[in-house]
Amino acid sequence: MNLRTIGVLARKEFKDVLRDRRTLFFMVLLPMVAMPVIMIAGSRFVKKQAAEKEQRVLQVATNAGGERVITGLRDRWMADNQVAVGLTIAKFGIDSLDDQEAIADFFVRLGKARQAGGGEAGGELMAAMYEAWQKLPEEQQRLLLDYGAVNRFMSLTKFRRFRSLPKEGKLSPGVKIPDDMPDAEALNLPPDASLPDPEVVALAVQEKVVHGALYVPTPGGDEASAAREVFVTLDEGRAYRIDVLYDASISLSKEFLDRFEGFMAALERDEMRRRVLNEGLRSTFVAPFDLEPADIASASRKLQGALGGLLPYLIIVFCFLGAFYPALDLTAGEKERFTLETLLLSPISRLDIAAGKFVVVFVAAVTAAILFTTSMFITVTQGVLPEGLLAGLDFRLEPLAIVLTLSLLLPIAAVIAALVLGVALCGRSFKEAQNYVAPLQILFIIPGMVAFLPDLETETHLAWIPLVNVSLLMKELLKGNYLWDFYWITLGSLLLMTALVLWGSSLLFRRESVLMRT
Amino acid sequence: MPPHDEGPATREPARSEAPRRASGDLVVEARGLGKTYKGGKGQYTEAVRDLSFGCRRGEVYGLLGPNGAGKTTTLRMLSTVLSPTSGTAVIAGEDVVSHGDRVRASIGFLSGNTGLYPRLSPREVLHYFGRLHGMATDHIEHRIAELAQLLDMADYLEKRCDKLSTGMKQKVNVARTVIHDPPVLVLDEPTSGLDVLASRTIVDFIHRSREENKCVIFSSHIMGEVRRLCDRLAIIHKGAMQFEGTLDELRARGGGDDLEDAFIYVLEHAA
Repeated sequence: MNLRTIGVLARKEFKDVLRDRRTLFFMVLLPMVAMPVIMIAGSRFVKKQAAEKEQRVLQVATNAGGERVITGLRDRWMADNQVAVGLTIAKFGIDSLDDQEAIADFFVRLGKARQAGGGEAGGELMAAMYEAWQKLPEEQQRLLLDYGAVNRFMSLTKFRRFRSLPKEGKLSPGVKIPDDMPDAEALNLPPDASLPDPEVVALAVQEKVVHGALYVPTPGGDEASAAREVFVTLDEGRAYRIDVLYDASISLSKEFLDRFEGFMAALERDEMRRRVLNEGLRSTFVAPFDLEPADIASASRKLQGALGGLLPYLIIVFCFLGAFYPALDLTAGEKERFTLETLLLSPISRLDIAAGKFVVVFVAAVTAAILFTTSMFITVTQGVLPEGLLAGLDFRLEPLAIVLTLSLLLPIAAVIAALVLGVALCGRSFKEAQNYVAPLQILFIIPGMVAFLPDLETETHLAWIPLVNVSLLMKELLKGNYLWDFYWITLGSLLLMTALVLWGSSLLFRRESVLMRT
Repeated sequence: MPPHDEGPATREPARSEAPRRASGDLVVEARGLGKTYKGGKGQYTEAVRDLSFGCRRGEVYGLLGPNGAGKTTTLRMLSTVLSPTSGTAVIAGEDVVSHGDRVRASIGFLSGNTGLYPRLSPREVLHYFGRLHGMATDHIEHRIAELAQLLDMADYLEKRCDKLSTGMKQKVNVARTVIHDPPVLVLDEPTSGLDVLASRTIVDFIHRSREENKCVIFSSHIMGEVRRLCDRLAIIHKGAMQFEGTLDELRARGGGDDLEDAFIYVLEHAA
C-alpha cells in the first residue's frame, strides 16, 4: 500500500465524482433536503388525515326502527344527565348546552389534550383545560367524556335505511347490489334474527356505500314496535341485542365501530346506574374492582422511543445511498467508459486502486449519513415541524453520545462502501452493476429495522450481530444510556465484519476475471 | 520445444535484413507466452499458445491477425493487465510476472477504444496519470506543454473531455500514453473506430515514436497500416504464431507481391 498513490487516486476520484450530479444528489441534496421535507409534509398529511377522519360524517345503514331506537337511547341519556353535564360544562366557560359549537370544540381539545398526556404538547389553552378537567371529581370527569362520546356519535352519523342503499352507481364495476335489496320490514324477521341478508349489507360496507350497519330487533316488524321493545327489554333488566356490522380492514368502518362502542359504553354506564339504583344497591355492587392503571411514560418519551428506532435505520439507509452512485461510477462506470484498463496500466498496485476508490466511497457514505443526521436534528429541534408534533421532545445529545454514534457510523460506512464497491466491480456496465447492488440494500435495511421492534432489548448476545447491534445501541445512546459492554462488543463485531468485507473486496480487485469482465 | 509446425523462414527471421534503425538488445521479449481462460463447466479456452517474439528500440513491430486471434490477450499480457498462464515476457529488463509495477512504468498503452474521464479536462487527465507514474508536478506541467504543442491541443486543454470530438480525444489519449515518456509503446488496434483524420494522428504518432528510438508493438488487422508502419511483423491465428519476419519475407511466403494475399495464404495454411 502506497499512501501517496492512494492520495493521488482518491483526489482525482473525488474531483470526478463531485462533478457527477447523481452523486451530489444522493450524497448531499437528498439527505439534507429530503428528510425535513418528508417529515414536514408527512406529519402535516397525517394530521390532516386524522382531522378529516375525526370530522367525517359516517353513513350507517339500519333496518326499520334502528334510527329511532338509537335516538331514543340518546334522549334517555340526555334526560338523565343534562343537568349534571350543564353544570360541569359551565366550569369551562360554556354557558348552555345549546352552544353546540363551543361544546364540540371543547371535546376536540379535551380529547387531544388527553391523547398528548397534557403538558406542553397540547398548547397552553389545552393544558389549562386539561388541568381543570383533571381536577374534577372522577364521576364528573367520566360524565364529560361520556357526553362527548354520545354527542360525537350522534352528530356525526347519518342513518340510512337498508332500502335506500343505491342499487348501482358508486359501486365498483361489475358489483351490483341486487334489486331485491331486503328490508327488515319486508323480511319480517323475528327479534333474535341477525342482520337481514348479511351478505348484501356486507357488500354495501365493503363497497363503502355505508361505513357500517346496525340492526335492532323489530318484534312487530315496524318502527314503533322496535322503539317499544328496547325500553321494555331494558326496564325488565334484560340485555338488548344490537347487531353491528363493520369491516376492520376499512379505516372509516373501524372509526364507526369505535364511535359506536364509545356511545354504547356511555349508555351502558347510565343504564347500570339506573338498575343499581332501582335495586337499592350501591354502585360498587356492579363494579367490584377499582383498577387504576397509570401510564408514567410521557408522550415525548414514547415518541423518542419511536424516533430512536428510526434514526439508526435511516442512518444505514443514507450510508447506502451515499455510497451507491460513487461506487458504481468508480467501478462499472470506469469499465463502461473504457478507462479502467488505462488505470490498471499505471505502475500502481491493484490494492492501491481499490484503496483509493474505497476512500472516496467511504467518505461519500459518511458524508451522506452525517448530513442526514444534521438536517434531521435541525428539523426536529428548530421547530420546523408543525406545532405540537414534536414539541417537548428532549434529545439528550451529549458530546459522548455523538462520539460513540460516530464511532459506530464509521465501521458501518466502511462495510457498506467495501461491499458495494466489490459487488459493483462485478458489473460489466453501470446498469448491470445497479442490478447487483440494489438487492444488497435488503441486507442492511432489515437488520436496521430491528430497532423498531419494541420488545427487542439490548441483550448482550445481540451485540454480536452486526447492524442489529448498532440499531439497538444507537437507540439507547439517544436516550442517554451508555451500555459500555454492549458498545465494545458491537464495535468489535463491526470491525471484524469491516475487515472481512474489505479483504473480500480487495480479493475481487485482484481477480482479472472480475476486472476485465467487459 | 517448437509448438507449431512452420517453415524455416518463420522460425529464423533473417537477421541480416534487420530493420532500419533497430539497434541493441531486445526491449520486449515474449518467451513462450500462453493464456488459458477457465470457462464454465470445467471447460478451458486457450486464447494464446506459446508465443515468442522480440522487439528492439527504434523498431515498429506489428501483430497481425483476424479478430479473435489472440492479439489483444497477448498485448494485455505484455502490459501486465492479464497475467500469463504459461511462459513470461521481459520488458525493459523487467519480468511481467514478477515485476508488474516496474514493467508498467516503462510502457505506454493505447487502444482504439481507450476512454477518457468525461468529467475531467485533458489537463486533469494528463496530470492524474503523470502523478500515478510518480512524476513531479512541474515535470508534468512541462511535459503537458510539450505534448500540447506537439499534438496541437492547447486550445482544449481545459475543456471537459466529454465535450471533445473523437479526434481531439484521440490526441489526448496519445498524450496520456506518453506522458511519462516510456521506452515501450503497446498499441492495441489503435486506429479501430477512428476516422481518417484521427487515424492520421495515430500513424504520425507511431512514426514519431520510431524517430525517438522507442520500441513500438501494435496490433492491427488492416494490412495497409501494417505495410506503412511495420519493420517486422508477426501473424497470429487461433492463438498461435503463424509467421514472423519482415514484410519482404511475408511477400516471399505468399509467393507474390501482394501482402494481403500473403496474409491470407498464411492464415489458410495455419497450423
